Amino acid sequence: MRNAVRLLDVLDRMESGPIIEEEIFDMELVPSTMAALQKKYDIHIAADAAIVPEDDAFADRLFEAGLEMAETLGVFCTDTGRRMVWSRNEILDAIGLAPSELTIGEFPDAHTQVKRFPEDAARVTIKGGPVGTPSPEQLYLAIQQSYAQEPLVDLMIDGSLETVYGREGRSHSPWELLMAWHEMEMVLTAVARAGRPGLGIGCTEDSVSEIGELSVTSAERLGPHHWHHIAMVSEFKTNYALMTKVAHLIKSGSVIHSFYNTIYGGTAGGREGMAIAIVGGCILLQMAYMTTTHSVSPTHPFFGNTTTPDILRALAPAQQAISRNSHLLNDVVITPVGGPGTKTLLYEVAAQSITSVSSGAAGLIGPRSAAGTQPGHVSGLEARFMAEVAHAARGMSRREANRLVTEIVGRYQEELDKRPIGQRFDEVYDVVRVQPSQAWIDTYEAVKDELGQMGMTFDSPSAHAAVGGDLVGSEIEGGS
Amino acid sequence: MADKDESLKQAGADLEKAMMSAETGKGVEIAQSMLDKGLSPSQFFVEVLQPVLYEIGKRFERLEIFLPELMKAAKVAKAIQAEVLEPSLRSGKGETTSVGSVVIGTCKGDIHDIGKNMVALMLQVNGFKVYDLGTDVSAQSFIDAAREHEAKIIAMSSLLTTSMPYMGDLTKRLEGLGLRKEYRVIVGGAPVTQAYADRIGADAYGSDAVSAVQQCLSLAKSTMQS
Repeated sequence: MRNAVRLLDVLDRMESGPIIEEEIFDMELVPSTMAALQKKYDIHIAADAAIVPEDDAFADRLFEAGLEMAETLGVFCTDTGRRMVWSRNEILDAIGLAPSELTIGEFPDAHTQVKRFPEDAARVTIKGGPVGTPSPEQLYLAIQQSYAQEPLVDLMIDGSLETVYGREGRSHSPWELLMAWHEMEMVLTAVARAGRPGLGIGCTEDSVSEIGELSVTSAERLGPHHWHHIAMVSEFKTNYALMTKVAHLIKSGSVIHSFYNTIYGGTAGGREGMAIAIVGGCILLQMAYMTTTHSVSPTHPFFGNTTTPDILRALAPAQQAISRNSHLLNDVVITPVGGPGTKTLLYEVAAQSITSVSSGAAGLIGPRSAAGTQPGHVSGLEARFMAEVAHAARGMSRREANRLVTEIVGRYQEELDKRPIGQRFDEVYDVVRVQPSQAWIDTYEAVKDELGQMGMTFDSPSAHAAVGGDLVGSEIEGGS
Repeated sequence: MADKDESLKQAGADLEKAMMSAETGKGVEIAQSMLDKGLSPSQFFVEVLQPVLYEIGKRFERLEIFLPELMKAAKVAKAIQAEVLEPSLRSGKGETTSVGSVVIGTCKGDIHDIGKNMVALMLQVNGFKVYDLGTDVSAQSFIDAAREHEAKIIAMSSLLTTSMPYMGDLTKRLEGLGLRKEYRVIVGGAPVTQAYADRIGADAYGSDAVSAVQQCLSLAKSTMQS
């Protein structure tokens, strides 16, 4: 449920919740809560555990632990120095009323995202794009078009700009507003050039503070049918600027996509703490931001990626916990270390796609190639690959998924600390024709062949075309 | 000699255990007993505390332990400094057990703090006095804090490309104020690169928490030599 009354209730809690010092919240309350919940709910994930487990009882205990975490911690607002907290019943009511299906974008390119279960054959939503990776201004339009023109990309997500009109962009300044406008102008052009003017756009990536979002979100600009982003700061924190975005998006009737990136080895701890934090964090996104869709991007502290085996071991049961016990529309952001042109990128994307889809993720976002840190090291071809693998993994048993993922992880694990960032967009694409180079195509085909030899079956393009939004409703019936 | 080595080894093992379980009292007791046996504060720091903290840092680097364990170790180390080493030094010969002081923060325009917190803790467990200014910190606030705490190293973190320009503000401002030679500046954060650090004239770049500590140790050495 999202409306102005609930918005006021959330904002009231922000102004009246329990007072706590930020350092105590970060350094004492979060770690002690995580440790206590691991013990109480017997949450253990061994270093050599199956990457994609099939223990439903464990997933359900993990959900209970996440629920209690959300109730115990709430969300800390750094501007008021208070925790916004909710009771267990309030949480259950709110997540029970959250949408389990949502249409994003406009006719004729609108896409309906649906809730999925572990091992579900229902269509998984592909949200392709660089996810905030900075790009050189002169390449930005072609980069976004390279994603928009991929038929398997159901919704697009923006990268961010490295500069604006050749100047350094600065958050919380007039430059942020100009960046947000520049992003908007170019992504609307990119979807039009791709022949998909109604494609739902994940935005605004150049709005760290509220300034950019407020300036470009309106019916005449980036309208409410696009999916508008709000971050929850790790771990479990927000502020006035982020809550201002929430208020604006609710008052403008916009789709809210919020996200939370817990850090492996951070205050939540290791595999177990990360798994609880993913579940509890998603619940808190719903409570604080009244979000319509949300995503997690559990991040490695040194590589900045989401694909290390330890992270996948936390992500898989957490995703299963959420999808078995709620109908929240939960996406996973894929952030490989590898960049365009490398096999490493493709292996990482394959492993995390299979892990997430078989564990019940409703959507995949990205890939945010080269850990999202190398300017312009992104391209549409990796989104096509992510989509093809994701669709091939629909309906796959978790046991089979684990077999495949374990084998694929073995092909990239040793490469991660070499940080193979690959090549920039203009080295792997013809930027005028906006088509991948033959070398990049050859690498992509070679990895698809390897996956085929492992036992994956890829659909033909015509099979994808037949799976429209209308089919999804009937597929989900048999999903559980 | 062999007895002394054995005693130091045992003290180190006991101290590591106390740190991993956040037994502040036990840690203080071990430190005090070593000083009572005739070890000077700086000998204790160099021969017992530093090797233990180094090993704990290495374990974090290998992700065998996590931030909560690092926090426990830092808490015990802080108590040993405050309750045993500093009082002893105040009555002693002007020795020091601090590697140096660092002012740290996430630069203006950015509110992400986990990476910065990791670096701050790693610096503490490696013997630095750390003054954490939090997030969204302006260039002038870094300078004011460095002056106030007599810190020679300023460490800035940014997770966003749109907050990185504020890092450049610091080096420019230090130049403009005629203070550039007085401070060493280190920058880090996901989108920050060595090339960017060079471009804005920073003295060092930390690609992650571990390398940030190594770089700060080198910077601390250079401030002592200058």
